[in-house]
Amino acid sequence: MTRPTAKEIKAVADVAGVPVSGEVATRMANSIGPAFEGFGPVAGTLPFDLEPATFLVVQFAKGSK
Amino acid sequence: MSAEPALLSLSEVAHAIAQKRLSSREVTQSCLKRIADWQPRLNAFMTIEAEAALSAADDADAALAKGKSGGALHGVPLAHKDMYYDAGRVVTCGSRIRRDFVAASTSTALQRLKNAGTIRLGSLQMAEFAYGPTGHNSHYGPVHNPFAVDHITGGSSSGSGAAVAARLTFAALGSDTGGSIRMPAHFCGVTGLKTTYGLISRAGAMPLSQSLDTVGPLARSAEDCALLLGLMAGADPEDPTAAMGAVPDYAAATGQSLKGLRVGVPKAFYVDDLDSEVAEVLDNTVDIFKREGAQIVAVELPEQSQLTAACQLVLAVEAAAFHKRWLIERPQDYGPQVLMRLQNGLAIPGVLYLEAMRWRGSALAAHHAAVAGLDAVIAPVAPVAAPTIAESDIGNSPDAEAVIQRLTRFTRPINYLGLPALAIPAGATRAGLPVGMQLIGRSFEEAMLLRIGAAFQRATDFHQRLPALS
Repeated sequence: MTRPTAKEIKAVADVAGVPVSGEVATRMANSIGPAFEGFGPVAGTLPFDLEPATFLVVQFAKGSK
Repeated sequence: MSAEPALLSLSEVAHAIAQKRLSSREVTQSCLKRIADWQPRLNAFMTIEAEAALSAADDADAALAKGKSGGALHGVPLAHKDMYYDAGRVVTCGSRIRRDFVAASTSTALQRLKNAGTIRLGSLQMAEFAYGPTGHNSHYGPVHNPFAVDHITGGSSSGSGAAVAARLTFAALGSDTGGSIRMPAHFCGVTGLKTTYGLISRAGAMPLSQSLDTVGPLARSAEDCALLLGLMAGADPEDPTAAMGAVPDYAAATGQSLKGLRVGVPKAFYVDDLDSEVAEVLDNTVDIFKREGAQIVAVELPEQSQLTAACQLVLAVEAAAFHKRWLIERPQDYGPQVLMRLQNGLAIPGVLYLEAMRWRGSALAAHHAAVAGLDAVIAPVAPVAAPTIAESDIGNSPDAEAVIQRLTRFTRPINYLGLPALAIPAGATRAGLPVGMQLIGRSFEEAMLLRIGAAFQRATDFHQRLPALS
């Protein structure tokens, strides 16, 4: 997964209804880009039967010492 | 007993009032005196409500004289981060946008403390909308570190950290979404408890990220945190994400020793690129744990940088969603850095956000497996002690987000996993700046962290260090 470009971010922000300038889009790309790269090894690898509520199941099961 | 009531611990002052060795008025006056002395240097309070506090103290004293006690903290004056809704009062959330916002209801956490008899000293400063780890606030000015006023307090619970450290309040509510209790606890030399996600109701607490937000106390000791946690934890019909289980006796847990416990020290990530003085404090803390009978075990945790990235994605999207209306209607009313960080969330696709949410359960299971057999993991809260206000005043500069992410890299994985963590004062730099360590536990095992923290504090006096008013 690659980080988004400023041009892509500008388009996404427009669609979201919160337009940003080119300068802001560039800053956003620099700010959020490392998170895209950091999560890259996980993105696109998750098994099908997994949903956010799994977190609560695991949380309440806890780990056994 | 201390000649200055404000210097007592929360537990001590509650007992002193209950036993009529001190009146609530005497205690409140003592706090107000210290607030008057320190506030010009710290900027820790958003509002100071001296007359109302003294009136409430008189009511508490009159009730006690008639044999009516309001609860475990009867007549104890406290102040909290200015994001806990208190019906009929202005709650600014550290923002210009909510400068005149009057809450219609009272937050569950605050109400439970009121039910225990606490009275209100005022409200405490914070980062704008709790979205900043340094303690800067472009609307209300930075909060200053009591141990070195040209240094930051950390945030976002900046006023809470400073006010507890300077003994202006016995304890304070904070909130922790990416480190906002533990950072000020570390930088200001106080004890701060980031609770398991869902342990304390979030109802009536200003939201930042509904999947990551947690409510918790900053106080002078683990024992005081245990007292507060016991009062606030538990199911709440107003917050469906609040845990339904029975509330353990946290205070009882604090009386036990470290003997026989197994504490993990990460082999990587949390020990990488540490400032040398923070590394020394970690080594010294480990030595104290050994001396007190704990077994230290090197532990290999799953890849933490992926957790920090996932946390950033979730936080950015959820914060942007909460703020979207104001981002459209009132962008000029945000501080530059908060506006920049909120805008970041617009750039993250929905599928990526949901992948970060879907992975959370697997990541937590992997963490629990890695720490099997351990009672807690110890790690630094941050790689450095408090930077100066000037050097960390990064605003919306191009590298601002990178600086923020470096500062909070040891706290965000814990928020993503929803785990509890107790930040405890563990030493100081040669320049006198506090250094804290965080004890990280399994989900809902706050009692173990409080036990370890309290045992450490019986063996050390870092938590008793007082800043000097010079």
